[in-house]
Amino acid sequence: MNQKTFGLGLFIFLIIPPVANLMESVMIIHMHMQMPILVITGFLMAPFFQSKFSRFFEKWNHNGIPGILLFIIIVGYWMLPRTMDEALELWMVELFKFISLPFLAGVPLRDSWKKLEQAGKNTVIIIFSIAFIVMGWLYINATMQLCNNYLLIEQITLGWGFLTMGIAFVIFLGYRFFFNPSAYE
Amino acid sequence: MIKNRNNTIASILVILFGIVLFYIGTDGFQAFTAETARVNQLIDDKPKFPDVTLEDSNGRKYSISEFKDKYVFITFLYTSCATVCPQLEMNMSKVNDLLPSKHIGEDIVFLSISFDPTRDDPETLNKYKDAFNSDGETWRMARIPDQSELDSLLKKFGVIVIPDGNGNFSHNSAFYLVDKKGRLIDVMDYQEIDEAAKKVTNILANETEE
Repeated sequence: MNQKTFGLGLFIFLIIPPVANLMESVMIIHMHMQMPILVITGFLMAPFFQSKFSRFFEKWNHNGIPGILLFIIIVGYWMLPRTMDEALELWMVELFKFISLPFLAGVPLRDSWKKLEQAGKNTVIIIFSIAFIVMGWLYINATMQLCNNYLLIEQITLGWGFLTMGIAFVIFLGYRFFFNPSAYE
Repeated sequence: MIKNRNNTIASILVILFGIVLFYIGTDGFQAFTAETARVNQLIDDKPKFPDVTLEDSNGRKYSISEFKDKYVFITFLYTSCATVCPQLEMNMSKVNDLLPSKHIGEDIVFLSISFDPTRDDPETLNKYKDAFNSDGETWRMARIPDQSELDSLLKKFGVIVIPDGNGNFSHNSAFYLVDKKGRLIDVMDYQEIDEAAKKVTNILANETEE
């Protein structure tokens, strides 16, 4: 099985209502497992679109910047507390989630990442480190319930999840900055 | 060079798409949480207080028409709650103190509604009310014994209550103001005591002038 079929299979599996409901029942799984896996399915399916529409990607995403901007916008949108609530309450928003994360975030990420220069890649990781640390701080310290469908304790769990990922990004950036991999080859 | 131009055009289009997406998704950058969106929606809709039977701390039973021609200042709570409810009720009592006393009981009634009718019987409510200087008359505490009636009210007023399995509930809190005709006209932040008191005082002052 090649990765395109695997990506498609995983995508279909995630849509199956019992699977979707189960993953959405826990806040941190909803945001830090279901959503990233949806992006990954798009990432895996990307070669299909890249070969089918190679001229489109070549023409409009030559330096990778439009694609990565789209990725940042879509992922940023799904970090809003409101969109998570509405995905549970409105089927239109839920549908948009299942379409936007694989096809408007996963696919452009794969197409853009290789085209970006090192500085561009670092910028993207820095943006997400800051965003994750800020979101983590927000979710941990908000005394108010930000999402009506989840308990406050789940919100705090999610905050720590964000913070942990933010810290991991920072460590990765530090590693990139201080170590030169070719010195060990 | 053509390719660079295409990249710029594509980037601009993507950013425009992002602005539109965030604009629609947050009702014009107004509501970043579903709670804000809910409150804005409620103030627009002005839902009517449904015809449900309340049972207060004195065991009296009546519907919302008991408070006909009066404003009703409402909060939702359950007495076993140790976190936000005491704060909510404490703030409610502060609003009560801040309002001109001539209006209390005459033009406005305070009402705390429990969404835990099995545990919050009249005796429990009676004990609870004393902790907040509620007199049981101009500030009443009541439960809605019928679960389906209770659910209809919570749904109409957008109160989301999630049982956590240990006998506690997670719920959103606010001050609700219902007008003389039984319509919800405002949902206020329960932490902004002065602001809420000022708003209600203005509404009552305008009313008595007319």
